[in-house]
Amino acid sequence: MSSRQPLPTVTPFFADKQERLSEILARYPEYGRRSALMPLLWEVQRAERHVSEARVEEIAEILGLHATEVKGVMSFYGTYHEHPVGRYHLQVCRTLSCSLAGADTLADFLEDELDLVNGETDPEGRFSLQYVECLGSCGTAPVLQVNDTYFERVSRSRCRALLDAMRRDTLPEPTLERGGDNEPNAPDQEGGAA
Amino acid sequence: MKVTVNGTVLELDPGTSAIDAVFAAGFDVPYFCSQPYMSPIGACRMCLARIGAPRKERDGSWILDESSGEPKVFYFPAMMATCTTAIMEGMVIDTLSKDVKDAQNAMVEFTLINHPLDCPVCDKGGACELQDRAYEYGTGRSRFVFDKRHQEKHHPLSALITLDRERCIHCKRCVRYFEEVPGDEVLDFIERGGHTYIGTLEDGLPSNFTGNITDICPVGALLDATSRFRGRNWEYDHTFTTSLDDASGSAIVVDARTGRIERIKSGLNPEVNKSWIDDGIRFGHEYADDPERLKRPLLRRGEGFEEVSWEEAAAFVAERLAGFSGKDVGVAIRADATLEEGVAARALAQHVGTGQLDHAPRHGPSLVPLHGATVLDVATADALLVLGDVTEELPALDLRIKDALKGVSPPELFAHGVPIADLRLKERMPRASERLAVVAPYRVDLMKYAGAAVQVPVAGEAAWLQAMAAVAHAQPADEAVLGMPRAEAESLVRAWREAQKPIMIVGGFVLASEAATEAAASLAKAVGFRQVLVPPMANGVGLEITQVLPSHARYDYQGMLGGSAKALVLSNLNPAVDPAVAERLRSCELLVVHDLFLTETARLAHVVLPGTSGYEKDGTMVSLEGRFLPVRAAPVDAGEARDLTGVVKALGEAFGQRLEGRSVRSARRVLRKELGFDPTELHRLGLLRELPRRRAIVSLNVRETVVGDSLRVPSLARPEYLGRNAHLRAALGGPALRLHPEDAAARGLRTGDEVVVPVDGVPRRLEVRVSDAVPRGVSLVPATPEAPAGPAAVALDDLVHERRALEVA
Amino acid sequence: MSDTASSAPKPITSRFDPRFEPTLYAHVGVPGSHTLSYYRSHGGYEAASKALGLEPKAVVDEVKASGLRGRGGAGFPTGVKWSFMPPVDGRQRFIVCNADESEPGSFKDRYLLEDDPHQLIEGMLIAGWAIQATIGVVYVRGEYYHAYGRLAAAIDEARAAGILGRGVLGSEFDFDLILHRGAGAYICGEETALMNSFEGLRANPRLKPPFPAQAGVYGLPSTINNVESFCAAVHIVARGAAWHAAMGTDDSKGMKLYQVSGPVARPGVYEVPMGATFRELIMELAGGPSEPAKAIIPGGSSTPLLPWSDATLDLPMDYGTMAKHRSMLGTGGVIVIPERKCIVDAYYNVVRFYAHESCGKCTPCREGSATWLPKMYQKLLAGQGTHEDLALMEDMVKHMRGTAFCPLADACAMPVQASFEHFRHEYEHLVDQGESLYPRRREWAA
Ligand SMILES: Cc1cc2nc3c(=O)[nH]c(=O)nc-3n(C[C@H](O)[C@H](O)[C@H](O)COP(=O)(O)O)c2cc1C
Ligand code: SF4
Ligand code: FES
Repeated sequence: MSSRQPLPTVTPFFADKQERLSEILARYPEYGRRSALMPLLWEVQRAERHVSEARVEEIAEILGLHATEVKGVMSFYGTYHEHPVGRYHLQVCRTLSCSLAGADTLADFLEDELDLVNGETDPEGRFSLQYVECLGSCGTAPVLQVNDTYFERVSRSRCRALLDAMRRDTLPEPTLERGGDNEPNAPDQEGGAA
Repeated sequence: MKVTVNGTVLELDPGTSAIDAVFAAGFDVPYFCSQPYMSPIGACRMCLARIGAPRKERDGSWILDESSGEPKVFYFPAMMATCTTAIMEGMVIDTLSKDVKDAQNAMVEFTLINHPLDCPVCDKGGACELQDRAYEYGTGRSRFVFDKRHQEKHHPLSALITLDRERCIHCKRCVRYFEEVPGDEVLDFIERGGHTYIGTLEDGLPSNFTGNITDICPVGALLDATSRFRGRNWEYDHTFTTSLDDASGSAIVVDARTGRIERIKSGLNPEVNKSWIDDGIRFGHEYADDPERLKRPLLRRGEGFEEVSWEEAAAFVAERLAGFSGKDVGVAIRADATLEEGVAARALAQHVGTGQLDHAPRHGPSLVPLHGATVLDVATADALLVLGDVTEELPALDLRIKDALKGVSPPELFAHGVPIADLRLKERMPRASERLAVVAPYRVDLMKYAGAAVQVPVAGEAAWLQAMAAVAHAQPADEAVLGMPRAEAESLVRAWREAQKPIMIVGGFVLASEAATEAAASLAKAVGFRQVLVPPMANGVGLEITQVLPSHARYDYQGMLGGSAKALVLSNLNPAVDPAVAERLRSCELLVVHDLFLTETARLAHVVLPGTSGYEKDGTMVSLEGRFLPVRAAPVDAGEARDLTGVVKALGEAFGQRLEGRSVRSARRVLRKELGFDPTELHRLGLLRELPRRRAIVSLNVRETVVGDSLRVPSLARPEYLGRNAHLRAALGGPALRLHPEDAAARGLRTGDEVVVPVDGVPRRLEVRVSDAVPRGVSLVPATPEAPAGPAAVALDDLVHERRALEVA
Repeated sequence: MSDTASSAPKPITSRFDPRFEPTLYAHVGVPGSHTLSYYRSHGGYEAASKALGLEPKAVVDEVKASGLRGRGGAGFPTGVKWSFMPPVDGRQRFIVCNADESEPGSFKDRYLLEDDPHQLIEGMLIAGWAIQATIGVVYVRGEYYHAYGRLAAAIDEARAAGILGRGVLGSEFDFDLILHRGAGAYICGEETALMNSFEGLRANPRLKPPFPAQAGVYGLPSTINNVESFCAAVHIVARGAAWHAAMGTDDSKGMKLYQVSGPVARPGVYEVPMGATFRELIMELAGGPSEPAKAIIPGGSSTPLLPWSDATLDLPMDYGTMAKHRSMLGTGGVIVIPERKCIVDAYYNVVRFYAHESCGKCTPCREGSATWLPKMYQKLLAGQGTHEDLALMEDMVKHMRGTAFCPLADACAMPVQASFEHFRHEYEHLVDQGESLYPRRREWAA
């Protein structure tokens, strides 16, 4: 009933990904279609490093919701971004166990090295820095999460090497470790990065 | 169940919430998030109490207290929110102890730490739940020494609603309201934790029911943008009355200050509108304050008018009327006139001795169905067939239909009123869409909620209803007409027959056609529907039963305009918008017009008498369910304007006659005899009466064969006044011409263009709105009192572009 | 009970008891342990086959008899929870796995998911059979992307092998899993918030009752458990309730994954029978603190700390003992706080976490945990606090306890209260001196 103007047209994200879309929708029972909301947000974010308002509206349309509902859900979570993050999104855990292992100093180090403050992305769009809460790596603290990959027990030298590698646009193998009982085993071979 | 509240013992029904138990026992407990008619969620934590209950042994016997031998009361380890706690047998609730007081103080303090102290400039000041509760339950001081949260302060959620994010206390009433009441989640919390705020991505809150959030916001966060900064709460005169904007009988409160209406709020009528009204009713009042309102009678002098006294105007009319034979005089009033005005009109017609008496708009067939249903029946129906676009036509019904889909019966009232926390209501309750079938000539809003939705061709309702009746009688029917496979139609019929309370709601598109109305009645008979008929204007039912009707069909309103009357008295009608009618009226020997504005018709009149708006008169209306409701005048300055009883009084004095209906009182003396009760004594919530069903006189225009494949659509915002309601127009746009995208593209039309287009030969200025809800080849235009809902001919080929929509970047 | 106990063999309460054998974590860290072939070669899915041969109720009874209590934090008896499911009535039923592990100091579930995903699948299959749920939901926190990938691959493998899908493991029972990824919100660990999140709603906790067994996922009967609880069920079915109940103390049976973080020689996860002491865990298994310690957080940041002392070290880590000492076992995520860490700073860190994670629904949490309390800490740490401020903070946390809608506010308030109780002198020092007793250190491994 209100006079809505159509938005400028953007090519829908899922226009050429219909199969993927159907696969995601098919995961959930028919009456639970709305459950696909988070996976669809993830899908967009992995590709575009953020979820724009146009995508929010597209997802709303797919699920038969109002865009407001999608936005309400999306903004509830810490890891959906409204604005694009850099190619290397550095997430530093500063919660207690990591803090006890030097995470605050690690955070300061990153701020200085990258000339970024919490929440910023550099002008080239390479690095974003974000402080996050406990990542479940307390036994192998401190931890730095780069995009979806954990780098654990990040010492100053490891951190330097990691930054250097990313500046060369390479991402080394994750340093997934186990600690405790399971420490002696060989490091993980596969890596977690997609 | 036996419950003890602070020592007071009382018996309550199982399922009652502890908070209602506290109020029922005569105690008070503060609350912010609970809201009658909405789900309790326990978010504000203001209503905490210490609660205990006895427990049972494994064998089912009560665990007894060693010393007293009574069942031992086990207290919950933590305080409980009373709003979300159901009572239990033997429950003990304490709201007065020090612990509880401390907790209440603490919750007030928490709530206030981020709430600005701008009460002196806040519109809610004096009517703010937080202000009251902080005073009653706070310590009166805050230990919070930091900067309060700073957020946007004058954020326009829409043209009608302003949000102050700093004032929000996160009670979630507004968010829940949209999901639970109209069912459109256009407002939500954004972000989380301490950063949570109210927001929307929807342009202008697209819903017909947005204003209610300003009533329920406990603080001054959500405000009626149209009345902001216009007055303090204690300066308003509150008039509890009934809206004359539609036939729902919705209760409203008119707030006036120094002689002018500042705002309208929802009134409470549990059996009608609960505490919700639509935006048309709430924001549609600005015209009453328009500077162009007529304040004094006008008498034609040559080409112009001269202001005269009522006596002079009446004397002129009386003298001229004397020159006509009674049967040449016509009297017509608009169908939102009160019963008292109807009596006055009738008395006038009787006095002059004419059968040319009518109210308009009037579809023709009687508005009193054979087996009628009430609004409450709708809210508790288990099968509903809706014919038409109720959401636009009678929005109050739309909400009650949605109640029926939730399947929660109306709550029992307490001495303290509607339950504060009805535990049967939940957030995101499932809606039984299979209960609802909707049939309309375009995609109407309710179809979203319907299990079965059929889009019929324009004026195709009769055929559809006949086909459905055929299915019900196990006769052959065309599937193309049914719009669904026969098996589906059969299962619909079966569901209707099996339902305990099946109800058919008949809108204007059907009532516009005698054949369709009959078909609806026979389908209703075939499957056992009770019917609700939607009158085109507020008091259609009332004026029908008080017989403000012609003595013969050719003397109806159309007939009068067509030439059967040489002298005409028109109240609030403006037929001269049609140039052909205007031409005829020009040759009318006496034209008396009673209206609020100098309309096209008034300009042609010999005498113009200033009329009152629906907020300025006392009287009675009968809503669509047959409920007699009081209409009360708010204390506003309407100059010398009078309602029709005032007109008849003046004329009677000029005739030297004391006519019936020369005052509201005298009209009520007549009504008392006819109705068997005195409308003066009507309760605010009205009186539901069984109505006499008469064979109504079918209007000429209903008899005429339908022309045109477009539609006049009833509109929640009255198009005749929309131009004078600046805020409502800003929110809704002007009266709209709605078109399918392809039809629009073919003519180079875009949303927002302003055009003049002939509708049934009457040029109308409309705003283009492109919408894929409209079928191809069909145009939708707003119905008016002159041209109510029904098929129309819209001559798109003769359309004139007045103004192009501004380019959007 | 006590005389049978005296005649029965002594319960296993030490990792060094020769009868103890790690089960849950036996394969974590072993290369390739996440594959189906590896899992099967170590007896994988035999327990599920065994369970499918029993009546569902027999499985529930077995888990009840084992004494297993939920490992997600609250310690509710798992078998009892399973028995709350309403009778089968044709409605869809769900078994839900809470793999949102976000409690600071907890990281046991992560390695189970990464290195032994089939163990979880098997546990859920057993639970699904026991409560007659044909759909399982695994809600994995968004950051555990590696775990998510491993689990997704394991589910695919299991489907291909007929372990998930129609007629699992050759039985008549249909069972499949939906893997769902969170996106960074601690509150999603709260079971009803998790369900809202799964349904695509904002993750506010729901009102209880109705409990999940009545109205859980999509309003349908559901049972939710922690990852470790499901894994434990595999071994209970495989080895019998008595085997499980032979470990632990009166109210806490079986083995448990304890996590140790903070300055100790070998932080990490240790599988230990319940009833083992902090001493065994911290001093013997984790190699002891690498610098003098002053406090132990026993089960994740929301559990009240215990001062470091011989007496504390000798406490058995079980539900009852922790409750008796006005703390909680929680997730078993032990954090050692070194002497040189300012307790005010440490608890500012903890409070900041809850402030970040409050969902914002209810007043004491949104305005207390998320707004006012962290501001008070900032004021103290800036050297501007007063004694009135300390009194105010204590009063505030008192009113955050037991008044909020869900336990998150308690989780914030309780540990703060404990820090006041045991380390008030540090708060006072900061107020009196304007600076911390233990200034902030800038240490970080080279
Ligand atoms: C704020 C909050 C956070 C929680 N986080 C988790 C969590 O991350 N993982 C978990 O398994 N349980 C968590 N729980 C406990 C769950 O609500 C629930 O009790 C548990 O998943 C049940 O599983 P269990 O019976 O196997 O322990 C949390 C509870 C609360 C109140
Ligand atoms: S805006 Fe008003 S109604 Fe809405 S949550 Fe805030 S205080 Fe409640
Ligand atoms: S918690 Fe808000 S009214 Fe009960």
